Amino acid sequence: MRPFTLNSLLKFVSRLSELPLLLASAVLFLMMAMTFADVILRSAFDTPIEAATELVRIAMAIIVFSALPVISGRGEHISVDLLDSFFNSFWDRLRNAVVAIGCGLMLLWPAQRIVVLAERAASYGDVTEYLGIPQTYVAWMIAISTFVTALVLICRGLLILFWRNPSSD
Amino acid sequence: MTEALIGFAAVLGLVLLRMPIAFAMGLVGMLGYAHLNSSRGAISMVGRLIIDTSQNYGLSVVPLFILMGLFVNKGGLSRELYSLSFAFLGHLRGGLAMATIAACAGFSAICGSSLATAATMSKVAMPQMRKYKYHDGLSSASIAAGGTLGILIPPSVILVIYGLLTETSIGKLFIAGVVPGVIGVLFYLLAVRWTVGRNPAAGPPGERTSWSGRARAIKDVWAVLILFGLVFGGMYGVLNFWPINLTFSPTEAAGMGAAGAFIIAIARGMRFKDTLDALKETTRTTANLFSVLIGAWIFSNFVNLAGLPEALRALVTANDVSPATVIMSILLVYIILGCVFESLSMMLLTVPIFFPLVTSLGYDPVWFGIVVVVVTEISLITPPVGLNVFVLKGVLGDVPTGTIFRGVTPFWIADLFRLALLAAVPAITLWLPQWVS
Repeated sequence: MRPFTLNSLLKFVSRLSELPLLLASAVLFLMMAMTFADVILRSAFDTPIEAATELVRIAMAIIVFSALPVISGRGEHISVDLLDSFFNSFWDRLRNAVVAIGCGLMLLWPAQRIVVLAERAASYGDVTEYLGIPQTYVAWMIAISTFVTALVLICRGLLILFWRNPSSD
Repeated sequence: MTEALIGFAAVLGLVLLRMPIAFAMGLVGMLGYAHLNSSRGAISMVGRLIIDTSQNYGLSVVPLFILMGLFVNKGGLSRELYSLSFAFLGHLRGGLAMATIAACAGFSAICGSSLATAATMSKVAMPQMRKYKYHDGLSSASIAAGGTLGILIPPSVILVIYGLLTETSIGKLFIAGVVPGVIGVLFYLLAVRWTVGRNPAAGPPGERTSWSGRARAIKDVWAVLILFGLVFGGMYGVLNFWPINLTFSPTEAAGMGAAGAFIIAIARGMRFKDTLDALKETTRTTANLFSVLIGAWIFSNFVNLAGLPEALRALVTANDVSPATVIMSILLVYIILGCVFESLSMMLLTVPIFFPLVTSLGYDPVWFGIVVVVVTEISLITPPVGLNVFVLKGVLGDVPTGTIFRGVTPFWIADLFRLALLAAVPAITLWLPQWVS
């Protein structure tokens, strides 16, 4: 058995991060197929999928919030590197670490609020119009993903600070 | 108003420190809102906005149109579009660069992103232009400039978001982009002409294609032409043949487009791995765009609460500034911001502020949307940040950024002329949308 190292842990996390992307991809494909089927059924047979709109809404939330922790961990957010040449490698690392940790910490605030909104949706018993899917599930999923994203960003910042630039993982 | 201006400066500062644009706008917006209202109010607004934006039905067009572009690309369309343009334009002086512009325009009709258009076409067009000994400056510039058409010629991710932000009809915005897009192509062709006129060695002619060869090239793209006709025909309700009534909303059109592109790509041998890559890339881009969108929405809530749009309007009224001067100043602001900001965030930051002012002066929301997109296109090839240039640099590697920027100058000037023309004569933009209900 290979000894446990931070390197192998990171490789494992990097492979694990493919899972939420696969989930998002599957949901996106189903959303596309459903929209297609809905238009065909409505146009040709006058029997639209009535729940299509609410399913698209839920699908969108799953797509965005499954992929969000992954792109945050891989440092794929849109940013401007105009002043990069003014920083030497030490300041560059420090700045990237502070930015990542700061972004993570800042997300904790709305994440807690989303938990409150999710609990409220549960206590009101909010459900979707046709299929009666409880709204609280979607809100919880968003809340958990926001917490995971915050955690991922903080870990990324710490890794940059104490280890090396993990942008390629 | 002071708070809003401080907010802007803060966003700019954070962005230059390489904070992701989404987080910079979100953080400043959240803190500013808390300062003006209360921290409870701010956090409620942010929480609600995150939940609601990610479940917005209208925004589902964004991933579906992105997916359509990627599927069509996996089906090999970019190569065939280039062959088609080469068949008709390749024998002219500078013809391969002209073919590049035309192929970019064609690809833009399926793809809603400028960066994707430039990245895709660079892989197809650059090797051809190298084969015919085109100068790197002209070849890379024609791809960078041609690529900008991606966000103007429908479908366009930026126009969808402008439409949702300002409650303007996406159908009207899409069709309004067509004529300015065609003018853009013509002006770019003139820019190529001008470049090879000054230096004929920059773009030697290729061989002429026979008419049978041209017919063959057209045959290769028929499936995609049908797809394009289906998507936009359905959106504008011209496909109503009894008993089948094919009329779609933009989301449905995008879904039909993506599914159609999937079928075409599978028929042309797209493998499972390619399909999965396209899906994964779409989800990552979508999450990225939505982060920027949520950040911008938070920031614009703060700016509105700070009363910046009203203050601007009051300023204009008090000083009796003419509408034309207002528009010119706004365009100048865009050109300056475009040096630093990426296209979507630039639009999201500014439209909530300028839109109320522009419409209160009596300008058409559709026209303003197109003008904003055209000025955004210019920012994509403006130094020092010009994103399209950097995309090319990333793909090509061996062409210095300076060479691309020098080559792009005639195209940049052509763009300024187009912007002036569209700003001065709104009828050019508004002629087509008036036929759409």
